[in-house]
Amino acid sequence: MTAERLKTKAEQGYAAQFSELESRSSSQDWVQRLREDAMSEFNAIGLPHRRVEEWKYTDLRARIGEVYGPAGDAAALSGEKLATLLGPLGDIDAVRLVLVNGVLDEALSDLAALSGSCEILPLHKAVDDAPDWVRGMLTTVNPPRPADATVALNQAFLANGVALRTRMAAPGRLEKPIMIVHVTGGESERPTSAMTRNLLAIGDGVEATVVEAHVQLGTMPSQVNAVTETMLGERASLQHIKAQTEGAETTHLSTWMTRLGAQASYRAFQFSTGGALSRNQIFVAFAGEGASSHLNGAVMARGGQHNDTTMVVDHAVPGCESREFYKLVLDDAARGIVQCKVNVHRDAQKSDGHQAAHAMLLSEAAEFDSKPELEIFADDVVCGHGSTSGQVDEEFLFYLRSRGIPEPQARALLISAFTGEAIAKVDDEAVRGAFQTMAEAWLADEGA
Amino acid sequence: MLEIKNLHVKIAEDDTEILKGIDLVLPKGEVHAIMGPNGSGKSTLAYVLAGKDDYEVTDGSITWNGEDITAMAPDERAVAGVFLAFQYPIEIPGVATMTFLRTSLNAVRKARGQEELSTPDFMRLVKEKAADLKISSDKLKRPLNVGFSGGEKKRQEVLQMSLLEPTLCVLDETDSGLDIDALKIVAEGVNALRSPDRATLVITHYQRLLNYIVPDKVHVLSGGRVVRTGGKELALELEETGYAEFGEEAA
Ligand SMILES: Nc1ncnc2c1ncn2[C@@H]1O[C@H](COP(=O)(O)OP(=O)(O)O)[C@@H](O)[C@H]1O
Ligand SMILES: [Mg+2]
Repeated sequence: MTAERLKTKAEQGYAAQFSELESRSSSQDWVQRLREDAMSEFNAIGLPHRRVEEWKYTDLRARIGEVYGPAGDAAALSGEKLATLLGPLGDIDAVRLVLVNGVLDEALSDLAALSGSCEILPLHKAVDDAPDWVRGMLTTVNPPRPADATVALNQAFLANGVALRTRMAAPGRLEKPIMIVHVTGGESERPTSAMTRNLLAIGDGVEATVVEAHVQLGTMPSQVNAVTETMLGERASLQHIKAQTEGAETTHLSTWMTRLGAQASYRAFQFSTGGALSRNQIFVAFAGEGASSHLNGAVMARGGQHNDTTMVVDHAVPGCESREFYKLVLDDAARGIVQCKVNVHRDAQKSDGHQAAHAMLLSEAAEFDSKPELEIFADDVVCGHGSTSGQVDEEFLFYLRSRGIPEPQARALLISAFTGEAIAKVDDEAVRGAFQTMAEAWLADEGA
Repeated sequence: MLEIKNLHVKIAEDDTEILKGIDLVLPKGEVHAIMGPNGSGKSTLAYVLAGKDDYEVTDGSITWNGEDITAMAPDERAVAGVFLAFQYPIEIPGVATMTFLRTSLNAVRKARGQEELSTPDFMRLVKEKAADLKISSDKLKRPLNVGFSGGEKKRQEVLQMSLLEPTLCVLDETDSGLDIDALKIVAEGVNALRSPDRATLVITHYQRLLNYIVPDKVHVLSGGRVVRTGGKELALELEETGYAEFGEEAA
């Protein structure tokens, strides 16, 4: 950057928060440098706007007017309150790690249940102790290129979150799903922000399920910026699931950056109903041959909700398989976006990629944008994409009504069947059931 | 009693008139057949009875049990006892057959002031009716009609009919695409529903089905009008002569 850009109010807000944080920080030099470099990077690129290709549908510069202060130490959260926030997700028999505005709440977390199979560190401790695996992972797993402003910001404020590493021998399997609960907000009367960074290291030959549940405490707007870096060892297998149900005034910026070892299997599913503005990014890189990545999701949005899923899959090595399958239900003036870029490098022969995104529009004002991009530099590959958008099928509706099912119920049945085709791709039965229940609750909430 | 008077129907989105003044009386306890060449308006009549809004009634009336049903929604008609077995039953991906059957049956029961069935009672009932129709239980585990053969779909229609216990049954070419064994099973299913309280309209292009479901009367539809009405022997006559005199070449 030669000339200093004119900063927006929000960008100035981030800069001010950063200097405040820096004056208090006493971290190790290497972390300090990471943060400073990230902040300089953010200052250079600024908040993305619609002329930045990757962000053409989601203009953060226009949409983030001011920056909220950090939530700070949240009031103690009771187990009962947490159960209410989780709803059907609370019925999943999982080992929980609860992050309240990024800070690991040890009382609500089942740390003991994981002590045998995993190493778990609150992020601030992980960066202070700086074990090799943390240093080797942090910010390096699969950073987006070109640099992404929201990831840079997350890095500049690196402090909270959780680092998890499996430490079982191959082949091993984590019996229960691990549920990382991200609780955002608080009982206070002010809007707040939370930046969270998680690290997941799934060892060679280990099979695990990690559910990240994003819920909100209180009704004040929040700004969430959550990044998870995931590394799968050789033959490792991870179901990485996300549920996002924060309040309708919250800005949710999330990035998953994943790197897969040879023959690893990554099955991601994101179910999103919350947030005023949500940007869910997933970056996947194949680092070893014969691995597969399936990114699936369901989005249900209404009112003025804006929900953007952006994926980049990098076939850097030969013989890997990638699939993306998304279903969106959009009502009122909601806007849904699915962008997926698949890069097949010159040497990545026998790559196999297919993506599909389907939207059901329940109103005239709802909008769906799909942007598939294939950049293929190898010749022996199979890659394809498909995208549709339509309404509830009138023929189906008539058929159901002719069998005595009243129109609202018939519609709900058809919409739930539509999202159900995506939700069916969740392997874990309990999670699948919870998502189906949540989808039905969303439908029953019509007009609420 | 079903009473159709001077029924004129056009396609809702353009002005093509399809039914051009139909008069038909079907008393309870009777089975009437409607025959006629392709394109004569048989399915249109069936859809209009079921309340499909692709069609618009421009004149005339349809009364069922003395009540004009032309303004009723399709689901209200189902509750009032109207059932249409579709000529082309549709496949609905993602909707489990059992969920559908249960939602349908309980919606109708509730609206009729009957108690909803418990899960075990419902399961028992479906299994019993499915067995009568020789529908295998794995078919019930699939999404509605998805990947079913023509004959399997038709059997699903008759299964739904026997569960909902309608009083006005309209079967639109339920025989087409069935081999003789399936035809017999389906006919048995329909005959089992014969009762003094029930009226049945069997639409068919061929006489064959009427060997098994013997009609009290046969109406010939052509060009959107009933051009002839007679006894069951009229079906046999049509089998001989074809529909040539009604505007279609003999097969
Ligand atoms: N929804 C529709 N749109 C356009 N034309 C239709 C529609 N429904 C029926 N028709 C036309 O009306 C005529 C009668 O059709 P139909 O009732 O299906 O006849 P049948 O069942 O006796 O073969 C045909 O010419 C058909 O093409
Ligand atoms: Mg027809």
